[in-house]
Amino acid sequence: MDFSLSEEQEMLKTMARDFLETECPEAVIRDTLRSDKGYSPELWGKIAELGWMGISFPEKYGGTEQSIIDLAVLYEEMGRGLFASPHLSTVVLGGETILAAGSEAQKDELLPKIVNGELILSAAITEPQSSWDGKAWEPEGVTVPAVAAGDDYVIDGVKLFVHDAHVADHILCAARTGNGGKAADGITLFLVDAKSPGITCNILDTVSGSNKQSEVIFDKVKVPKKNIIGELNGGWAPLARSMQIGAVMLCAEMVGAGQKVLELTVDYAKTRIQFDMPIGINQHVQAHCVYLVGNVDTSRWVTYLAAWKLSENMDCDLDVSIAKAWTSEAYERACWLAHQVFAGVGSTEALGLMPLYTRMGNSDQYYLGDPSQHMEVIVRELEKLPPQEKPKGKPLGLWEPGGEKLPAWDIWKEYYERNR
Amino acid sequence: MEFGFTEEQEKLRKEIHDFFQEVLPEDYNPAAVRRAGDESREQFALDLQKKAVEKGYPSAGWPKKYGGLGFTSIEQGIVSEQMNYWQVAWPGAMGYNLVGPVTLAVGTDEQKERFVPPIARGEVICFEAFTEPNAGSDEANCQLRAVPDGDDYILNGQKTFISGSRKPDWLYTLARTEDTIPVHRGLSLIMVPGDAPGVSYAVLPTMGGSMQNEIFYDNVRVPKTNLLGEVNRGFYHAMATFEFERAAVGVDARRGMERLVDFCRKEKRNGKPLIEDPEVRKMLARAAMQRQVMWLSGWYGACRRTQRDKLGPQSYDLTMFLRKDAAPEQAEDLMDMLGIYAQLKPGSKYAKYDGAIQRQQWEASRVIHPAGSPEILKVVIANRGLGLPRIPRKFNSQINEALEESR
Repeated sequence: MDFSLSEEQEMLKTMARDFLETECPEAVIRDTLRSDKGYSPELWGKIAELGWMGISFPEKYGGTEQSIIDLAVLYEEMGRGLFASPHLSTVVLGGETILAAGSEAQKDELLPKIVNGELILSAAITEPQSSWDGKAWEPEGVTVPAVAAGDDYVIDGVKLFVHDAHVADHILCAARTGNGGKAADGITLFLVDAKSPGITCNILDTVSGSNKQSEVIFDKVKVPKKNIIGELNGGWAPLARSMQIGAVMLCAEMVGAGQKVLELTVDYAKTRIQFDMPIGINQHVQAHCVYLVGNVDTSRWVTYLAAWKLSENMDCDLDVSIAKAWTSEAYERACWLAHQVFAGVGSTEALGLMPLYTRMGNSDQYYLGDPSQHMEVIVRELEKLPPQEKPKGKPLGLWEPGGEKLPAWDIWKEYYERNR
Repeated sequence: MEFGFTEEQEKLRKEIHDFFQEVLPEDYNPAAVRRAGDESREQFALDLQKKAVEKGYPSAGWPKKYGGLGFTSIEQGIVSEQMNYWQVAWPGAMGYNLVGPVTLAVGTDEQKERFVPPIARGEVICFEAFTEPNAGSDEANCQLRAVPDGDDYILNGQKTFISGSRKPDWLYTLARTEDTIPVHRGLSLIMVPGDAPGVSYAVLPTMGGSMQNEIFYDNVRVPKTNLLGEVNRGFYHAMATFEFERAAVGVDARRGMERLVDFCRKEKRNGKPLIEDPEVRKMLARAAMQRQVMWLSGWYGACRRTQRDKLGPQSYDLTMFLRKDAAPEQAEDLMDMLGIYAQLKPGSKYAKYDGAIQRQQWEASRVIHPAGSPEILKVVIANRGLGLPRIPRKFNSQINEALEESR
């Protein structure tokens, strides 16, 4: 049991913070969010040089073989710095899946390119109807078919809310190749060249603005069989694992952003003068700040517990879902509390970054499972709890039903007088 | 960052788990055990404590010399977690959690020898006599006076909301030894025998069923050697006390969740198990998330006590605030689930969930206030943890005068 970061993790944290504060100040953040690409290719190259793409990959692919916790430390800083990039799509959803399920040849070819920043991936998982039906990120939600035709498979259908598809070199598409049996057993992962004929990518107009999501139309797109990642019909398990890592990284992002929101808010409460006093002297404002700390710190704990279990390869469905459900809601509360303290000033983008932090949450809380979906997973895990353990000592009959005495004044008084 | 336990720690957990499973009777009902007015239950609690004392669990964190086991804060956390799992509390809790640790921290060797071993053996009951009618959240406004007289102090004043349903051997008393500005620099901690001439008691019944006392001090004479730590430094020692009290908050474990899930699996509504009801599922998920957070915050507190340098000062301790802030809502969630049945007390043949739920809400109304109500904890965290400003006490009287004038 140890809640502190190791020396190396502290170094990674400081390095990432310094880098983003220098290279990605407010003006760059705003320009990036307004740009067509939604990320800065220049900074993408620089973070590749810093090794940010290789943290979780083995050395033979150019990585540094650090843990999921180290990755979370990095994501905390990326969240704090409002750093928009296709890192999650490329490294976690794409890279981690390829690492877990890809063939040696695929790993040798793709992972070094990911680490070098030469390759951007996107993960096409969710679909219009099934997302509306509450089945996004569930195996039942994958219905777009891929049908074998000679040396190829043909994918035909629409994927929705696909992050970073507009800039991706390859799209990792989860498609249905088998029906019958369990929903998870008929899903195959295809690495589709984003320039394949038949692919249309339409950027969605979403409120968040901190990332670009698309509708990706696969119109009878041919994918060579050799581009299957993992087993035929066996794509769900490795993808689910990457999605868990991804969900925890989103949590870490919200933790880092929440920490910055807290600092901005407390700072504002100390310096903003009204009625000849800093507004932070008012206990109502203080209470908002305290709840803000509560939301951020608790999120950090649940997030790192899940990250630790992932890095130790432990059974962690419950912990990941608790982290994602709790942190998504806590981050939303945290931003709301900050807005209460900032009042009108917090709603204008001209005067600070607060609205951008709030908007980031608008995307993160839904991506890779919204709170209600994860709460459902939590209950499914709870249902597996064993019955309550019972003591084994000889019964004493002291707690028979009906033996309970009323806490009436006369009984109290009588007892009391007898004992004094 | 790692959240695991060593093999020895797991072994210890198993050992304590098995200890409680063996010694607790099959029909143990924790909701009822702490209620006053039933001597057989009182005796049961004392017997249980005695068995635990043989193992050394209640005072496990103290040095061996004074009856402890020399446990680290993590090992103490494991004891606390298991106590929470099996829902047990020591009759001598105030001694174990407050008086013992503070005496060990600030007492003289003579005081340590005199006070600590009997507490470790579970032979004495201590009350924490801090709160007064006009010194609740404003602890530093303590008005109970201790005036030196030769080798003694003479105490006069009143304490209120002092928890405890058993006859106290020691009143761990906060007393004013000097009139100072700021007011918190004139307070001292004095150990007063519970049966000293001049001490009298009155009872304050609470809706949750636990015992609170009013204590009156009328020319109570206590030797100066009963003053703990430095004279006039009592408030600082007391703040440390609260730290121990906060530290003593049990690290929550799974048991409550197992019980709740079990209940929702077995109990049916409209022919279907409760657990299939979407509203109940949401409630269960929220309860599980809360528990995870509390469990982690407890361990965070345990770690922070040994890793202050890395994790920051204790003033910014959320553990107790989070717990208190969540308590009423948790009780309410459960009551919503039971609906009209939530009213029934244990013993009614119609009672659901052992009739324990309404009382959980009643208890919440009291339990959240000792050692700082959520409101005062928020102020403490805001001022000391976040550095948000406050109006210094010396201006308060001027503000009050201005208010009077403007009326």
